Formats: sequence, structure tokens, C-alpha cells
Amino acid sequence: MRNPFSAVALALALLFTAAPAGSTDAPANAYCYIGWPTDGTVVAAGKPFRVWFGLRNMGVAPKGVAVKNTGHHHLLIDADVPPAGQEIPSDRNHLHFGAGETETMLELPPGKHTLQLVMGDDKHVVHSPPVISKKITITVR
Amino acid sequence: MRLPLLFSMLLAASLQVTAVPVAAGTAAPENAQVYFIWPHDGTVINGGKFWVRMGLRNMGVAPKGTDVPHTGHHHLLIDTDLPSLKEPIPNDRNHLHFGAGETEARIELPPGKHTLQLLLGDKDHMPNDPPVMSKKITITVK
Repeated sequence: MRNPFSAVALALALLFTAAPAGSTDAPANAYCYIGWPTDGTVVAAGKPFRVWFGLRNMGVAPKGVAVKNTGHHHLLIDADVPPAGQEIPSDRNHLHFGAGETETMLELPPGKHTLQLVMGDDKHVVHSPPVISKKITITVR
Repeated sequence: MRLPLLFSMLLAASLQVTAVPVAAGTAAPENAQVYFIWPHDGTVINGGKFWVRMGLRNMGVAPKGTDVPHTGHHHLLIDTDLPSLKEPIPNDRNHLHFGAGETEARIELPPGKHTLQLLLGDKDHMPNDPPVMSKKITITVK
């Protein structure tokens, strides 16, 4: 890299690609987790069960509320996490808790299912860095 | 005697007028419930530092200053009785506010028995209407 200007330009380009446009910052030590069920839990078919959402080093705020270091929970069912800076879809596989809920009742068809929590900002966009739980697998039977 | 009677009637009327705009907290659903996910009543904790996990049902969490129906933020009462439910919740060592929308808190308490109770407050730290409070639990720190 002979030209110092191209080095600066490259650094700037890296900076911009590293921080996706339109994503809200989250504290570096923030993390979310599924308090219950835990990985490997077997639940009874035809009976709703309660899922509670854990969040540390960050706060909960309803959708549309832009307060620093907050977001709201999204529960992904049999789905993968969208990348940082992208809006989380709203469908049967991506449940939104835009009223600031910290737990929910869930009923799933028999079989194996994956569950994962991801925080979204006031506009349902994944934070930077993303605040994502471990993906767990549960069995309904 | 007529004048004092009239006077007292007027006084009563004026009192009623001033008593009308009583501050009321943000409405909460009738079935809203706040509770401790952890610790439980009777939990014994070794060492004074622990995480309190605050649970809320049929209602949402919102930071202080956020005016959204059916939301509030957590307040943890330590070794104290319920404050007035018609005034903002005090802010001191016995009344911890979680105005950033936190649902968990790292607490440190000296050895001995302690009571913990959760009380939800609205955007202005006023207890909701009806008030949403947990059972008061007792824990022991060893």
C-alpha cells in the first residue's frame, strides 16, 4: 500500500461495510437467551407451553420506541436469523413482541422444532452487533 | 349558625374540586401479573451477589418516559413495604428503578434475611391502575 490515501479509503470502506446502514447499536456485552424451555426439552403435544425471554445488559422497549440500548424480542421458530441491519420478517416463523412482552404461550405441531430469540430495534431491525440467543431444539410429542 | 354552615359547605365543595384531579397511573390490564422468575420465596443464596429475574404476564415492558398503553417498567422493593400507590415510587436504596426497560438485575445484599417485592410503574414511575405488584418474598443471604 504505497498511497496513504488509498489505505484511508480502504479503511473507510471497511468501516462502512462493517456497520450496516440503518442498524441500531447494541451494547457489546448484551445477550438474550430463552429462559425456558431449555435445549432438548420435550413438551406435550396439544398443550400450550410458556416461553420466557431473558435479556442482560440491555432493556426492553415496545416497537416504535427509540431508546438507547433497548429493543424488543422476536422468537424465531424453525427459522434462521436475518443478518444485522435487516428487518425481521413477521410471519408464523418470526413472532414479534412489539408490545414489550417478555414471555409468551406457544403451541407447536408434534415433531422437532428450533427456537431462537433475536432482538430487533424500534423498526424491527437486527442490532449491530446482533443480540441473538443460542438456537435450541425442542421436541413436541 | 347559618354562615358557618354555608362556609363549611363551600369549603367541602372546594375540597371536592381540588380532590378530583388525583394523579392516576397508566391503565394496566386486569389480568396483568408481575412475579419473580428467580429467586423464589425462601431461596438461600451463598454470597451476596445474585441476578434477579423479573417476570411479567399480559403486559409489556417500556422504559421510563414511554407512553404506550399496557406497559410499565420494573421496580424492585428491598426490605420495605409497598409505597403509596397514588404517588411516584420513591427512588432510593430500598426502591430500585429499572427505567431502561431491564428485565434482570444484579443485586448485592448483606448477609441475613431480606424481603423482595416487584411493583410496576408507568412512564412517570406511578404505580399502574390497577397496581401490578408481585408477592413479597423472603430470601436469606449467607
